[in-house]
Amino acid sequence: MTSALWYVLGFAFAGFTFVFLTVGISWLISHRHRSDRHKGLPYESGIDTFGDTWGRFGLSFYIYALLFVAFDIEIIFIVLWALVYGDLLLGGFISMLLFVLVLLVGLGYAWRKGVLTWK
Amino acid sequence: MTSLSNPWNRLTLAGKVIVPLVIALIGVTIALAAVWLSGFGPWLIQWLLDTLGANIGIVRFLIATTVILLITVPIAFLNIFFEMKIIAFVNLRVGPNRTGPWGTLASVVHGLKVLAKEDFTPTGADVPVFTLAPAVIFLAAVMTLLVVPFAPGLFAFDMEIGLIYFFAVGGLSVIGLMMAGWASFNKYSLLGGLRAAAGMISYELPLILSVVGIVLLTGSLNLTTIVEDQSGSFLDWNIFRQPLGAMIFFIAATAEGSRTPFDLTEADSEIVAGFATEYSGMRFGFLFFAEYVNVFILSAMTTVLFLGGWNAPLDIDPLLNFFGIATPVTVVLDPGSLGFGLLGVIAIVPPVITLILAVAIRMLIPTWGFLRSLVVAFVLLNMLVVGLLLGWLAINLDWVLGLLWFLIKAIGLSAFFVLLRATLPRVRVDELMGFAWKWLTPAALINIFVTAAALIVVKSMEGGL
Repeated sequence: MTSALWYVLGFAFAGFTFVFLTVGISWLISHRHRSDRHKGLPYESGIDTFGDTWGRFGLSFYIYALLFVAFDIEIIFIVLWALVYGDLLLGGFISMLLFVLVLLVGLGYAWRKGVLTWK
Repeated sequence: MTSLSNPWNRLTLAGKVIVPLVIALIGVTIALAAVWLSGFGPWLIQWLLDTLGANIGIVRFLIATTVILLITVPIAFLNIFFEMKIIAFVNLRVGPNRTGPWGTLASVVHGLKVLAKEDFTPTGADVPVFTLAPAVIFLAAVMTLLVVPFAPGLFAFDMEIGLIYFFAVGGLSVIGLMMAGWASFNKYSLLGGLRAAAGMISYELPLILSVVGIVLLTGSLNLTTIVEDQSGSFLDWNIFRQPLGAMIFFIAATAEGSRTPFDLTEADSEIVAGFATEYSGMRFGFLFFAEYVNVFILSAMTTVLFLGGWNAPLDIDPLLNFFGIATPVTVVLDPGSLGFGLLGVIAIVPPVITLILAVAIRMLIPTWGFLRSLVVAFVLLNMLVVGLLLGWLAINLDWVLGLLWFLIKAIGLSAFFVLLRATLPRVRVDELMGFAWKWLTPAALINIFVTAAALIVVKSMEGGL
């Protein structure tokens, strides 16, 4: 188990090194040119930007994320259940059916409320 | 102070590459000469061998990490080449045909161009997050290669929970996309990042749920076990046991890799280039490097889970036995016994064969110049030698043939992804989200319960009989 941890951490470290080494080499060999203030403005189809970018955005993104969390927890249980399913069989089948039905009631509620329709 | 007063800035691009290389080469040469002259050479080699032998685990980790990080480069180049050439053929164009044979080097030139471009940070951007985002996206893609079994015994790390690790680390790329969209200080980037988050988390559910059927059948989360479970002929592959699961997985994988028809995150007709709008230079390069590597990883994962991984479609051992080729073939050749003749074999035989081939080609195709036939003869000789070597390896080492089958399947699937991109129009964002929640997720749940019920029937029939 510790071996897996070291592999993952070491690989993440090596990957970061790879990315920033390449970006660094690019920084060394590329040219940099200073220009007027319009160069640093965000590109929004040609006109100068106005209004607050880091402001409010649609609520539908948040509701999808909320639904995702519920189903993601369900997935953790389902995968572990599938792993030991060979020993459970009928009992496991019925209990997982009940568990998923409870979640599907929630999905159906969200569906009827119109959450799944993008607005 | 002008930028030209610094001698480093007066160098051309080629100079900036060559000067550090020459300095490094001279340094290495001087160091080697010093070691050799001081007489420490044999002792140093012995010490190195002892140290490496004592830390074999660390050496294996270093080799695996380096190889995986470096093979992503040719993989990305190959996918970019597919992207250009296959779409060109679909559009009845020629596509790249100037750099290299059939334009194969065009993607390499693209990579070098991106490396030499100006890497610009917009004034309003959140600089640390803006810089970190490409690294996070790239790592989330590449770290999943850690558990992919390429061939029997050829993997970076045989994790017991490989499947969960794959989805867990692959899901992290959402964070990178959000970071890139948020830190760019651009409304289109923000929209692109949020669309990426909403779309990818929606498709992650059917992606994972479609694989649960395989876990039910195999009873393991280890990818090597899953591949070994599919050995035999191609009828044993999971795509025939789990057709619905395979379809859902492929559709969800297309959306996870944000490929057309689901590439709402970078829909250039609506939101400029999405989260990548403000990126330039090598940081932009890494965003798309990650995307092309992701295509290969998703193809590789589809191969491992549904197309039998390294297994051949048909067992070829009976065929080999039929032709009287016993496996493995052992060739006993002691290079030392040839003595000085070895030098002759290496130094004289290849040029002589090349010359003979060149003369033959010159006689067959009189319009070619001698230099051209010489080059073609050299390439032919090398192809022959490599082919013979690969054939010998394929018979003697079982992983060579496995790797070949794996790559054929995975690269074929990558090409299929590109073909999809050339064929299908982009979906609307409401269609994208509705499809994931209203169709794919319920279908994946039905697939799980049908598989589970079938398992109960099979087990009870075994018990009854």
